[in-house]
Amino acid sequence: MALDTNAKREWMARVALFRGCSPDALERLAERMGEVEFPAGHHIVTQGQVGSGLYILVTGRARVLRGDDLIADLEPGDFFGELAVLDQMPRSATVIALEPTTCLGLASWDLIAELERDPQLALNLLRELAGRIRFLEDQYIY
Amino acid sequence: MNQEEVVDALAGLSLFADLRRPQLEAAAHTFSEESFAPGQRILRQGFQGTGFYVILDGEVSVQIDGKDRARLGKGDFFGEMSILLGEPPVADIVALGALHALHLSGPELQGFLQQNPAVMYRMLQSVARRLRNANRWGN
Repeated sequence: MALDTNAKREWMARVALFRGCSPDALERLAERMGEVEFPAGHHIVTQGQVGSGLYILVTGRARVLRGDDLIADLEPGDFFGELAVLDQMPRSATVIALEPTTCLGLASWDLIAELERDPQLALNLLRELAGRIRFLEDQYIY
Repeated sequence: MNQEEVVDALAGLSLFADLRRPQLEAAAHTFSEESFAPGQRILRQGFQGTGFYVILDGEVSVQIDGKDRARLGKGDFFGEMSILLGEPPVADIVALGALHALHLSGPELQGFLQQNPAVMYRMLQSVARRLRNANRWGN
C-alpha cells in the first residue's frame, strides 16, 4: 500500500497516540513519517540494537519479545520503539512481523521535536507508557 | 521556605532542569509546600490519589501490601501514574523521616505539564526508564 500525506493524516487522526493533536501537528507528522513494509518473520526492531525511531503499525500483526518472553501482540494503531528514543538506550525488545506488515516510521529527532512542540502528543505518550508500566507491574508484583 | 528558596530548590531538581528563572518562579507559585511527619502515609494503595508530589527533602518508602518495594528521595516524584491513568495508587507512599515536598492536585498537573513541555519531556524520560525496568522484572 502506498499512503500519501492525506491518507496518513486521516489514518493518524484515528490512532489513540494522536488523539486531540492539532491538524497542524498531524500534517507535520504525516509529512515526516515514512511507510515501511516488512515480510512475515522479519525483525522490525532487534533487542540490544541501537534504535533510531518510533513505529506505528498500519496493517498486519507483530509480536513483541524480550528474550523468549512474549510481551505483547501488536495490531493496527499500536506503536513501538519509543523507549529507545526517550532514554537513548538500546532496544528493550524484539518486534517480529507475524504476517506481511506495514508500519509508519518516525525518526527519533522528528519525534523529539514534535514532543517538545505538541504537549498533547507528549501527554498521550506519557499516558500510554504509564498504562504499560501499571500493566507490567501488576503482572509481576502480585 | 520563602518563594525564592522554593525557586532555588526547584532549580536543583532534574525534573525542572530545563526551566528558566521566570518559569521556575511560575512553577514555585503553582505548587504548594507540604510537610509530613515520619511514618505518615502520603498516598494510600487502592484509594483515589491526592495529587502529584516532588520530594524536596527526605525519603519515602513505596509499599505494596505493607512490603517495602522501593525508596524515593530528593528530586524524585510520585502520584503522577494515578493521575495520568485516573486510577487509585497501587502502592502506599510512607514518609521515612521528616519529609518536605511540593504538591500539585491531579487536575493542576495536566495543565502544568502542557504549559511546561520541557518538564513533561523529563517526566517522559523518567517514565521510559521505569518502563524499561518494569520490563526487566519479567526476565
